[in-house]
This record gives sequence, structure tokens and C-alpha cells, in this order.
Amino acid sequence: MSGRALRGNDLTLGVIGTLAVILLWEAAVRTGLVSPSVFPSPSLAISAAAERLTVRQLGENLSWSLLRVFSGFALGALAGVVVGILAGWYRRFGLVVSPLVELLRPIPPLAWIPLAIIWFGLGEPSKFFIIFLGAFFPVVTAAYQGMRGVDPMLLRAGQTMGLSGVPLLLRVAIPAAAPDLATGLRIGWGLSFGVLVAAELIAADRGLGYMIIAERNAGGSVGVIIVGILLIGVLNLLTDAVIGAATRHWVGRWHGS
Amino acid sequence: MNARLARIASSLAVIAVLLTAWELAVGHGLLKAYQFPPPSKIARGFVELSLTGFPTGVSLWTHTGVTIWRVLQGYVAAILLAVPLGLLIGALSVLDKLSAPLIVFCRSVATLSLLPLVIVWFGAGELTKVVLIGYGCFWTMLSNVIAGVRYVDPTLVRAARSFGLQGPELYREVVLPAALPRIFAGARMALGVGFMVIVGAEMIGTIQGLGALIMEARTFYRSEITIVGMLVIGLLGFLISSGLAGLERQLMPWTGNLDQVRR
Repeated sequence: MSGRALRGNDLTLGVIGTLAVILLWEAAVRTGLVSPSVFPSPSLAISAAAERLTVRQLGENLSWSLLRVFSGFALGALAGVVVGILAGWYRRFGLVVSPLVELLRPIPPLAWIPLAIIWFGLGEPSKFFIIFLGAFFPVVTAAYQGMRGVDPMLLRAGQTMGLSGVPLLLRVAIPAAAPDLATGLRIGWGLSFGVLVAAELIAADRGLGYMIIAERNAGGSVGVIIVGILLIGVLNLLTDAVIGAATRHWVGRWHGS
Repeated sequence: MNARLARIASSLAVIAVLLTAWELAVGHGLLKAYQFPPPSKIARGFVELSLTGFPTGVSLWTHTGVTIWRVLQGYVAAILLAVPLGLLIGALSVLDKLSAPLIVFCRSVATLSLLPLVIVWFGAGELTKVVLIGYGCFWTMLSNVIAGVRYVDPTLVRAARSFGLQGPELYREVVLPAALPRIFAGARMALGVGFMVIVGAEMIGTIQGLGALIMEARTFYRSEITIVGMLVIGLLGFLISSGLAGLERQLMPWTGNLDQVRR
């Protein structure tokens, strides 16, 4: 059996398994085993959501969430990459920066929410800051460790061929640290996304997280909440796959796939 | 060893310089005392919090104890469910293939996004927090147990087969010990997840626990108490992760960098 056929087979089984669970869920509600007001079946949840949410509302909340997470992640990752690489490359800078990062890193991003509100108020900047932190810490740690772990032999070989200073950093050290950077970016994305939803639940007036907590506070339909949760999950899965593919492509330029 | 000491000394010096600068900046009115409570005020906040407590009567140690207890309940329940299930799924490749997309999806569901649903089911009490922690820990643990069993080095399995081991015996004698490091790493990751989840879960509908403490302190404009709470959360997270990593090295000295192995 070739590799591709095997994969196709796996995929079929996966689809079968998923469909089986969805059908069981639907059947459990239809037969009255589970009360539809507590845990509506997929069909009921979707029809409730279609009834209570307009496309425009959903689109607005969705785009706010995406805007927040992308902008917060982009800046957090950028800051993490720059600080981590500089701290790994310039020893003195590293000596100053790494104790601060090590001190603050164990504090989960969500624990910054109250302080973010104190600093930036209840508006967009505080959410942005929390998502920024979610991306920053994993990326800065990965970038720093990646740089520290670059094989000295590579650097010496680069020097022998006449590279030094910034060209050596850009053309040898960063490509060598690329796999670590990619891992850090991926972890940072996951964390940013999780943090986004939490921040929207705790303190926001729009976005997908807000949408589901508002539905529960208004005593609305459980179906809408379930559709919201599944939507957030699908979004996380899709964006993670895109980022994973993009970083693999980027790392593959130097390290093979 | 000397280099290490020098490094620790320089780290402490950097932090000391920063704290002094911060204190001075607030003293000279460069930073607002409410937004950036100076270290001296944070220290007083710590004393108040550990003696009289905030809100009065609920000391820092109570908050910490409540948080730890919630995490432990959800975590232990998740491990007890995930390990046997993971071992089973890992042993039967058909089950693994059937369940793989579902498990990946459930892991992608942001744990805290379940909060509204879980409140509808169980109310806003203790059980809700424990269930959320349990959910987060469970999927992390499950996928690591499965991966641990599935990705045992085939050479080991073939070697064992050629010695005549097969079936349950092969699983018990070779596959399980080889999967143990990954399972332990999963347990460590799961505890980290539980700890992240609890801080968010405590920010809604409770006044006890560290997450509630930092949120309440903000409502009463006590930013120094918020910072004390954050530092305790950070310290706890640090102790948990370094403690488990140390335990891992003690129990399984043959394992390398498991953090780099991802499924």
C-alpha cells in the first residue's frame, strides 16, 4: 500500500468517526435521552442560531475577533522575534533582557487583564495588549533559545567565508534558528487565540467571545452558544493550519520539509 | 559554576536597578502611583494581603489554596479519564484513526469559550471551574498519551518481536515503558493548561481564588494588590513547571527534549 492510499484510508476513517459522533449526538436528543434545552442536537442548534443571529451580526462579531487576534498576534510576534533575536545575538542586551522576560513569563496572559484595564481602560487597547502578550512570550523565548542553540560550527564556517556582523546574523544565524522560531510562532498563535476568547468573555462588548456570553446572560438559546463555541474552534483549527503551513514553507527553505 | 553565579548576579542587578528606577520615577511624579504602584507599596500590599486579607478576612493563602484545590480536582479527574482511554485508543490503530479528527478539534476548542455553556449546565459555582479545568487538561493529556503509545520507536517493537514478545505482553513490557516519557510530558503540559484556564475562569462569578483576587482588587482601585496577586500566580506557575520538570528528570533520566516533540 502506498503512503497516499494509506492517508486516504485514514481520512475516510476519520470522517466516519466524526459523522458517527454527530449522529449519536443527534439521536440522543431526538430519542429524548438528552433534553434539547440543555444540550440541543446539531440540527436544533443550527436552526436556533439561524433564527436568533443575523448574518450581519455574526459577520461583525467575527471580523472584530479576527481583527483583534491578527493585529495583536502580528505585533506581539514581531516584537518577540526582534527582542529574542537581538537578545540571543548581542550578549550584553541578552543579559539585560532575559532576566526580565524570565521574571514575567510565568504569569499567564489572562492574569494581565486587570492591569491592562488599569493601564489602558476598558476599550480596544487593553484587549490588544493581552493578545500581544499571548504571542510575545512564547515567541521571544523560542527566538532567544533558538539563537543560543545555533551550532557554533555554522557561525565559524560563515566567518571563514567572509561573513560577519549583521550579514552573518541574517544569512546564517537566523536561518539556523528558524525551526525554533516557527515552533514559537505556532505556540504563540494558539495562546493568542485562547486569550482572545477569554478577554472577550471577561471584558468586551463585541466579538465572538462576547456573543456567546451575552447570549447566556440574556438567558437566550443554548443552541447559539454551542454554534458559537464550534465556530471558534473551527476558526482556531483553520488559522492554526494556515500558520503551520506558512511556517513550514518558510523553514523548509533551509531545513527541508 | 562561576559563570552561572555571575549570570544570576547580573540578573539580580538588572532587576534591582529597574525596581529602584521605578520607585524613583513614581516618587518624582513621572509615573502615576495608581497605574504603576511602586515596589514599596506592592510590598505593603503583600503584608496586608497575607495578614488581614483582601477582601478583609480572605487572606492571600486562602486565595492560593482555593485556586490550587480547583486546579487539582479538575486535573486529577482529567488524568484518571485520559490515561486509560488514551492507552486504549493508542493500542488499537482503528480507534485512533476514527477519533483523530475529533480529538484534534476538541483540543482546538478554546477551553474558556465553553464557559457560557458550562454555566448554563452547572451554574456559576465550583463545579463549573473544575469542569473547565478538566476539559482543558483532558484533551492535552489524551493526545499526548495516544501519541506516546503510537509513536514508540518501531525498532524497539521489532526487536521485542524477534525476542518472541507479542500482544498484551509486548504492549506491557515494551510499548508502555517507551511511551512513559511522552505521557509524563503530557501530564506536565496539562497542568500548565489547567493553570492558565483557572485564572480566566476565576474572573467570572466568584470572589475567592487568585483570578478573582486580582479582578476584585482592580474594581476597588487597589492596583498594588492586583500586582501582588499576579506575582503569586507567576510564582506558582514557575514552581509547578520547574518542579515537574525536575521530577521528570529524576524519574526518567533517559529522556531528552520532549517539548520539541509535537503531534
